[in-house]
Formats: sequence, structure tokens, C-alpha cells
Amino acid sequence: MAEISEAHDSDSSKLQDSGSEAPQRPESEPDFDPKTMRKTKPGLKRLFLTFSVLFSFLLGFPFLWKSVEIYRSPLPFREIDSLSTQLRSDNLLFPLHFHALFVGFDSEPDGLRRSILSEIAKLASQNPKCSNNYTLSVTVDLDSRCLRSPNLSPHSSTYQCGSITATDFVQNDDVAVDKRLASVFGGKTKEYSVAVVKGGSERAVVGKHRHAWLVVGDGSEVEVAAVKVAELLVKVFINGGREEGSIRNEFMPVGADGKIVLSFNLLNADPRDWVYDWDFEKIDDTLLAPMIEALAPVANISVESQVLYHTPKASFSYWNQKLESYVFSTKDLPFFVNSNEWHLDTSIAAGGRSKILQFAVYVPSAKECPLLLQLPNGEISKTNGFISPMWGGVVVWNPQGCLKDSEFKPSTKNIIPIQDLENMFEVFIGQFRQLFGFKSVNVYAGASGDWNLLPSERGFTEWELDVLSRQHTCFNLHSCATTLGSLSRLVQSLPRMIIMDEIGKQVKFSLEAAKLALSNASSGVYESSAASSSKASSLAEDAFFHPSIMSVSYYSFEHCFAVYSPFFLPVSMHVVLAALRELRRYKQENAKYLAWKAKANAAS
Amino acid sequence: METFNNPKPVLHLLLLPCLLLYSSIAFSSSVEAAMHTNNWAVLVCTSRFWFNYRHMANTLSLYRTVKRLGIPDERIILMLADDMACNTRNKYPAQVFNNENHRLNLYGDNVEVDYRGYEVTVENFLRVLTGRHETAVPRSKRLLSDEGSHILLYMTGHGGDEFLKFQDSEELQSHDLADAVKQMKEKHRFKELLIMVDTCQAATLFNQLQSPGVLAIGSSMKGENSYSHHLDSDVGVSVVDRFTYYTLAFFERLNIYDNASLSSLFSSYNPSWLMSTAYYRKGVYKRSLEEVPVTTFFGSVMETIHTDAAYKALSRRNSGKFEAQTSLDQSVHHSERRTPVKVNDRDETHNINPEGQEGASKCPWSTFCNKFLKAENVDSLVNYGLVAMVPFLMISMWLVR
Repeated sequence: MAEISEAHDSDSSKLQDSGSEAPQRPESEPDFDPKTMRKTKPGLKRLFLTFSVLFSFLLGFPFLWKSVEIYRSPLPFREIDSLSTQLRSDNLLFPLHFHALFVGFDSEPDGLRRSILSEIAKLASQNPKCSNNYTLSVTVDLDSRCLRSPNLSPHSSTYQCGSITATDFVQNDDVAVDKRLASVFGGKTKEYSVAVVKGGSERAVVGKHRHAWLVVGDGSEVEVAAVKVAELLVKVFINGGREEGSIRNEFMPVGADGKIVLSFNLLNADPRDWVYDWDFEKIDDTLLAPMIEALAPVANISVESQVLYHTPKASFSYWNQKLESYVFSTKDLPFFVNSNEWHLDTSIAAGGRSKILQFAVYVPSAKECPLLLQLPNGEISKTNGFISPMWGGVVVWNPQGCLKDSEFKPSTKNIIPIQDLENMFEVFIGQFRQLFGFKSVNVYAGASGDWNLLPSERGFTEWELDVLSRQHTCFNLHSCATTLGSLSRLVQSLPRMIIMDEIGKQVKFSLEAAKLALSNASSGVYESSAASSSKASSLAEDAFFHPSIMSVSYYSFEHCFAVYSPFFLPVSMHVVLAALRELRRYKQENAKYLAWKAKANAAS
Repeated sequence: METFNNPKPVLHLLLLPCLLLYSSIAFSSSVEAAMHTNNWAVLVCTSRFWFNYRHMANTLSLYRTVKRLGIPDERIILMLADDMACNTRNKYPAQVFNNENHRLNLYGDNVEVDYRGYEVTVENFLRVLTGRHETAVPRSKRLLSDEGSHILLYMTGHGGDEFLKFQDSEELQSHDLADAVKQMKEKHRFKELLIMVDTCQAATLFNQLQSPGVLAIGSSMKGENSYSHHLDSDVGVSVVDRFTYYTLAFFERLNIYDNASLSSLFSSYNPSWLMSTAYYRKGVYKRSLEEVPVTTFFGSVMETIHTDAAYKALSRRNSGKFEAQTSLDQSVHHSERRTPVKVNDRDETHNINPEGQEGASKCPWSTFCNKFLKAENVDSLVNYGLVAMVPFLMISMWLVR
């Protein structure tokens, strides 16, 4: 300002001088109005200064923005969507190979094959989520000839003609027959075989591995046998002997992290009467360990046990004179478990997302002993036990000296006899199977006849494990896709939520495991596909339930604005205003100069 | 807001129909009904301090009712400030009453509080509902419900238009609650949910609920207050609220085997007695209220199936195998799995205060700074920088002089 006024002064003084010096030249000097004209071009220095400050602010702004940006780990949204569309459209197909062998029948294998296939098509329920892609090969083995259908199929069995004859089935020892058949059929894995043999006592047995046999009398029709075979293939080998093929969540007691904790509890209802203990470790090693190993692809199982005292039940029983015992009925079962006194859920080994299944042995007090369960049809239960889906099972065990209490010293500890313990654990294994949806009885009662199911030492036969693996793969993959889809929707709906790297990594690994499971499933490797699918599902759950995804704790745009505006708003306001003011002043001065120039040009 | 975080709008446009299609198909496939397996209750008392005695008495009364009707402790999440029973102003120490006749001591026995004191926060409440806990949180503090669970959610305290006050320091807003319920539904954490709210203007709290299978009832509508029932002149404060009082009166008439319906419960609320209008909202709840027994939510249903037979494979093995095993006492196998643990009585584990608040709630600028400053040599760098600024200051001062 000082300079301008000085310049003006000097100009005006110069003008005055010039005016006073040469008053005789009024025509050559046009009127100079210092307010609207200036003789020198306005300088750019001031403008440059202010605009450089403004420019530096503008230059710094993207850096500030980047530093304030919320860190969101990039999630592969496209892949998540493609996984779910792939699962939906392709309808996860499990390849199954069936082989039916007819010994001693004089029929055409092609016709048999067609009729069995049509029966299968009639019986197979269409599960919307997972279906099965099956192939069937039929072999007819008569003494002289041996025909196969289809002839040149790559999946036709490697069965040697003549290895099985009717004499193999003469003896009634199912286990031996099973072993014999295993040696014949066991070469090619993952193929389900049925042997239909003519001659001998009528029997229908499903073995422990992947084969079954049906012995029919001499005069029976092959068509009837074909119908029975088809029913076996669909209802037993595909569905595992359960009612429907659909996946119901309540029969899938595996935790979200793929772990199950089996908690065994011995409940002494009234320790003043008697106190019982058990030798759990022995049973654990001999009976439970093989089962746990067999189920390793499906779930990671751990076992705990405890003995509790003062645990009365919550329902009432009444004395039945005819049976000479206390009886409780199935109507009381929902109220049997007394959760106030039964402190079962004290497991420390179980993480937050594992599934705990409680198995309780209830030893009644002297006032209620012996305690029997009466079924609605009036019979007394053979097992004295029941399950509750997704919770566990209870077995009531009556001590020996129930009515003869004079022999018992209530203070000493009694051990449950080994035989009783074994029986109890057989019931527990039956209950465990029930919790997975299988039947605990060893008979499958089908529409066209009964099949005897051979039990296995590991608690589950190989074909049952296959059913479980397939079911779990299907369920886990679908839940993985759903969870990842929910996660991606959630993440996209909250654009200002921090997504940590861990979540991104979990999603990535989950997608990889899901892809691996899909490829394994389509090639028929059930165990590894079940393991990969449970890994995929548990990783997806970990990502979705990551504790940092809380809508309360991510902060909003208003918060960020409120933090930064006191810093930047006043300063930026001044800077911008100064720049604008300088610009306006420059324009004004420029206009003045141009006016003077125009006048000077006009004058000269 | 969204323009700032501008990823790829075209991708969004492409994703949107895919997501819509998928969600519609997912909804249609999830309609296949899961079996009702168990009942859960989440009971929340959101106030503290002596003059809010009645809120804690409300919650404890409902806790007692729900336990009496069969829901076990392991399926109840009780969140209380729990500062009444041992309050120095309590004339009856360790006793909490909900009636001036002092007939019932609600704090008598078997009360298991899962979140007490300052752990009752909006964040913990939402974590319970959505299931997003830190890994160390024990199972007794988690809502371990599944697809077949029916959940009863009861909240009492001070509230207002679309919010509920938590312990005088924070609020739960209706959109937070609706969002949590939506996420629960997406993750199939419940089959049906009944929300009961006993606060002022309670019905506004579930204005934004859209999820299917959710039924909500509030003690008063917008603009109305909910009142306490009576004052206990001995204890010195009001001991119960009207809505809860009449709810309890309804349930005192029931026992485990009854099957009164929800519509009879809802119609038992008389506006003149409550001095407010109890408003319930069916929303997308499919079943008719006359068919739904109250024990669907308030009692316990344990679905049981009888075990027909034992699995007899094992009896084939000779018991000689057992004898042989007894000689090998400790096998390596079960010494791995055997972790000797003393089993004490169940203590109530105190929740370690979740430091999730530290991590994500701060401004990312400071987290950036924190990350930067975690390296120790940067500390010394800063110190050097500060020290080096002093001669600069001196020089500039000398120049300007």
C-alpha cells in the first residue's frame, strides 16, 4: 500500500512537475486521472505470492486426504459372487458309481440296468442344493457266462467273473461274508456294490464297507430284486438311511470352527445314597478313540469328562407296582434335564464357536431307584436314554443294589462295572449317531423290505462316513458362500468401516479352500473335500465374526470433519480470500493501465 | 459421503442386480423352516444408581419368571448394573424386592449375572446380539443361539424417541438395534425374536425393524411415558414398573405345562392400568398370535427323541481287550489329551474390558501416527528434532531483531 501511494505521489508529483514545467504543451499530455489510470504495468509479484500459498495448500490437500483415508483391506467381491453363483447354478454334484452284480440269474444286463435306473430316478429326491451324479454298471454272472452292461464304460467294475458264488453265502456269519466281499470288491475305491445272489436263505445285509448283498430264494423274480437294489442304492447309500435327502441344520452338530467337544458327565443325583465313579480313560481309549479318528475329516473332536454330585432331575416319576420300579414317560423328557443343578456347561476346552455335545449318565437316588423310561405304547425302553438335537443325550443307569440297599455303604466310592459301562457307551455311540441324523438301530426298514445294517467298531461304517462327508461338504460350502456374501454386502454398505488385513486374508484363504473343496468333490474324493469345506466355512465365519466389525466403533464422516475443520477452515478461508482479493486488485490495476494506454494511444 | 470413497461405480451397478437376485433366492431358500430347538433370553437393564431400583427389579423379576418356566442359566444372558443389592442405601442388604409386601426376594438364589456394572455398554450389547466377541470371551457371555432358537430380548431403563439410554453415558439408537437384528437374521442366529421394551416411548425403539420373524412390544407409544407401579415406602424408591408388573401378574398364573397364547398376553395390558398404551408390532411375523403359546418364548422347549437301541458293534469285541489295556496305564495317546484341571465351583468370570475401543474408534490419522511412533528410534528422532528447533528459533529471533 505504501508503495502505491508513493508511486501515486511520485506520479502525481511528476505530473505536477510536468504540468508546472511545461504548461505550454497541454495537447501532448492527455488527462491523467490517478484514480482510474496508471502508467506502469501492474506487477505480478503480489499475485504470485498469494497464489503460491493457495497452490501449496491445494497441493497438500490430496496428501492430507490420503492420510485420513480409512484403511480398508480390499476384499475380492467378484470372487465371492462368483463362488455363490457357481454353487447355485452348478448344483454341487457328487459323482457316485454303483455296481450291481447278479449271481445265478439268467437275465440280460442291459434290461436290468434300465429298470434299476428307472427305479432310482423314481426314488431319488431332488435336493435343491446338492445332487448326485451317479453311474450304474450291472454284471450278470451265471456259471457259464458273464455279461456286463454298459460294456465299454470306463467306470465298469474290475470284478472278476466267478469270484463270487452262492456258496459264499451259505453260512450265516455276516461278518465273514462281509470280509470276503471286501476282498473281492475292495479293489476299486468309492464304488458301491450290491451282490444279488440266488439260492440260500433269504437275507439282505449291508456291510461295513461299501457293499451290500441280497440273498433271494430260488423262485424269486429278478425284477423284485432290482426294485430292492434300487431302493438300497438311493435310500441307504445316497441318503444314509435317513428320511429325506434335504440338509437340516439341526442334525449337523458341528461348531462354526469345525470342532466338537464331547462332554461326558456322570451325575450322582443324591450322593448321600451312593456315589459312583467310572473308569473313563479306558473307555475313551478303546471305544471313543476309533470313532473320533473316523470322523476326523468331518469335525475335530475332543473329549472331556466330569463327575457331578447333587444333581437331581427336574421332572417327576411315579411308582409302577407292576414293573416294581419308578417310571417316567416320554412326556416328561423335555423337563428331565435340570439345568439349574446340572452344571454341565463348564468346559474350558471349548472355544466360543465350538459345539459342545453333552452326554450325561444319570444315577438316580435311592428314592427313585430303579428308574425306567416308558414309551407311549406302554413298553419299557431298552436303552433308558434319549437325545435332544444339538444338545446331546442322557442315559439313566440304575445301580445294582437298588432294592437291596443293605449291602451298600454310601460313603465309599463305587465304580460302575465295566460291562455296564460298555453297554452305556454303546448307547452313547448310538445317540451320537442319532445326533448326526443316523438311526441307532441296525435295521433299515424300507418300502420293499428290510436291510440289516452291519455295525462297525468305529461307530460309523465307511458308506455312512461317505454320506456324512458329502452332506457336510454341501452344507459347509453353502454356508461359506452365504457368509462371504453377507460379509461382502455388509462391508459395502458401510463405506467408512475399517477392514483389517486379517479379514482380507481370511476371506482369501476361505475362497481358496472352497475352490479346493469343489474340485475335490467333483472328482469324488469325499474326505478331503469335507475337510477343505469345513476349513472354508470356519475361515468365512472367522472373517464375518471378526470383532472389529462393529458399527458403533467405526467413526463417521461428521467426526472427521469435526476434528479437522478447526485446523483448516480458518486458515483456508484467509488464504482463499487473500488470493481473491489480490486477483481483484490485479484486475483493477490492469484495467487502469489499459485505460491509460488507450488514452495515451488516442492522444498520440 | 459415498463420493469420497469412490471405488468403481460401474462395478457397483453390476453387483447390485446380482446381489438382489442372490438375496431373493437366498430368502426363498431359507424359508424352509428349521425346527425349533431351544429358547434363549437376553435380559438387559440399562440403568444404574439407586433411584433406578425399579429397572433392576424389573429385570430380575423377568429373569426369575423365565427360569421358573424352564430356560436354564446357560441360555440366559443377564446384563445388569447390579448395584442395588449391596448398595449402602439399601435397608435390606442383599435383597431386592419387586413388591412392597416383600414377599419375594429376587436376589435370593441362583442369580447368574453375565454382564455386570460397567460392562453393560451399547458395544457389549451389540456384540452379544451379533456374536462378534473377542476370542477370549467365555462361552457363558456369548449368545450361542442357532437357526432354531427363539430369543426373548427384554430391555428396560430410560428411553426416548428412537433411543434407549445406557447407564447414563451412552445411547442405543433404533437404527443400531435394527441393524443388529438384521445381521442376526442374515447369520441365522434366531428363528423368532420377541423384543419387549419397558421404557418411556418404548414403541419408537423398534420403528426401523424390518427383519422377518421379529415381534416387538413396547410399554408406551411415542409421546407417552411409562410409569412405575408403586412406591415402597420402606425401601424408599419405586420397586417395579407398571408394564412389567402386569406381565409378571400374567405369568404368575402360568406353570410349565400351560399353553396360554401370546395374544392373551398382549391383550391383558389395560391402557388405563398401565397409564400408557402398550403397542405391539407384528411386522413380518408370519404366525398368528393366537396360535403362538407364550412358552414359545418364555419357557423351555427341549426337543427330545428317544434312543431306540444301542449300537451293538462294540460288544462283539472281547472284553479280554480291556484286560490287556489295563496293564498299560498311561498311554501316550491320552496323556496328550488329558490336561489335568482342577474343577472348582463355577466363578463368574469378569470380562476383560474389550480394548476394541482403542483400536478402531480413534481417528485413522492418530492410528497412523501410532503405527509410525511404535518404532523406538523414532522417539529419539523426535527428541533430536525438538532440540534442533531451539537454535533455529534463536537464529530467527536474532535476524528479526
